[in-house]
Amino acid sequence: MDKLLNLFTASGIYNISAGQALMIAIGLLLLFLAIRKNFEPLLLVPIGFGGILANIPEAGLALSAVENAVHFAKPEVLGMLAGALGVDSTDPQALLHAYKAASHTLHTAATDVALDAGYNNGMLYNFYLVAIASGAAPLIIFMGVGAMTDFGPLLANPKTLFLGAAAQFGIFATIMGAVALTMTGVMDFSIQDAAAIGIIGGADGPTAIYVASLLAPHLLGAIAVAAYSYMALVPLIQPPIMRLLTTEAERKIKMHQLRHVSKTEKILFPLVLLILVALLLPDAAPLLGMFCFGNLMRECGVVDRLSDTAQNALINIVTIFLGLSVGSKLSADKFLDLETLGILVLGVVAFGIGTACGVLMAKIMNKLAGGNAINPLIGSAGVSAVPMAARVSNKLGLEANPQNFLLMHAMGPNVAGVIGSAVAAGVMIKFVG
Amino acid sequence: MDNLLSEGLNLMVFGMGFVFVFLTLLVFSTGVMSKLVNKYAPASEPKPQRSKSNPKVQSAGAGAKNDELIAVMTAAVHKYRS
Repeated sequence: MDKLLNLFTASGIYNISAGQALMIAIGLLLLFLAIRKNFEPLLLVPIGFGGILANIPEAGLALSAVENAVHFAKPEVLGMLAGALGVDSTDPQALLHAYKAASHTLHTAATDVALDAGYNNGMLYNFYLVAIASGAAPLIIFMGVGAMTDFGPLLANPKTLFLGAAAQFGIFATIMGAVALTMTGVMDFSIQDAAAIGIIGGADGPTAIYVASLLAPHLLGAIAVAAYSYMALVPLIQPPIMRLLTTEAERKIKMHQLRHVSKTEKILFPLVLLILVALLLPDAAPLLGMFCFGNLMRECGVVDRLSDTAQNALINIVTIFLGLSVGSKLSADKFLDLETLGILVLGVVAFGIGTACGVLMAKIMNKLAGGNAINPLIGSAGVSAVPMAARVSNKLGLEANPQNFLLMHAMGPNVAGVIGSAVAAGVMIKFVG
Repeated sequence: MDNLLSEGLNLMVFGMGFVFVFLTLLVFSTGVMSKLVNKYAPASEPKPQRSKSNPKVQSAGAGAKNDELIAVMTAAVHKYRS
């Protein structure tokens, strides 16, 4: 009978908390959206599954060794941890608090104590350390994105870079939104939190994760989920804004064929970009450096094997671990929070403002160019989200005029948006990191 | 609180300003690079010619008919790929 009771007290049914049950339901919802509705399945399947794993009671997959040790709360271990962290009380909450605020040295000491006592990092926690805390996974993915990006349309019409710049206003407007929420006392975001939330408006998953891991790791789960969900919702969020801001005549504007771009230009472009980054904004060097490297591998034509690996096998492997690691941040105590709701709302506002600014900028450029050269619909593609945003521009163009193919024209601002959001990320890391 | 507001405003103004400055410079340097390439290494000969950025380069006239054909073909290929 004792054995049976033991088995029951160690079971999930006995230990599950309401928060964990809710988070498992959210994980299942993400899986449903990914599998049935095809919402960014490549990321939401690993994230959703990781979220479920992270919330299995007692397994502690998303917890570090110290957190696991505190969770099981053997008095002598708690005492040693308190000694290592330099606090008086052995209250678990106080210990966790001290652990999170601890300096690197104390952190290491506490970890050693926990390891000696026989506790280990959870599997997902290890994935998180390797993939995200080190910054590796988002950067490797950025390299793969670089290897998949064709800068031809951008080089044929470099002015579309301005559209990519204008659409980044969504990022900075959202920072002000987060600041306003804090000022009015609704929520409590620091300036670092605000910057990390704003980057959702860049509509670029790896950039958002990279910035969040540096500036606001505790919000990473919510930010990544918001970024990828809204990227999947681009075809729903953008068209109403685009229709509202353009006239029927503007949507019918046909754009000139793009000129041919030589191979030399394509090879030199990533190098030009890299030199500019090196000269002006070294803080964006990790992101844009990997991006340029990936693109150079693609265009130089002599390392096709590497380029092929970067844009297929490697990016797939890294995506799996990135997704699971993000999922590990979906544990109940970190995700079920008023702040998450704020992040979701601010994220969609960021998207909307970015789209609107891109379209307005395209309208201005069209006016300056004589009123019949640039279709404002391509402006919305400035919010990266490659290639979804460009497809949306193309679709609306076709609705207005069935002969009007905007896809290639929209790819210019689209890849410009990737560069723009990476630059914005660099600026924010520089200013508040 | 006021501190947070001013930090936010600073970040917005400087951040947005910097993004525009950076991309404007990128537009110019890309333009210069393209012109240099088309002038000194047109088409088939992929020989990188990077002299110091010198903005007073005359535009190298693009051979209209052929280019148009190639543009149409690239567009078609890209559409097929995407």
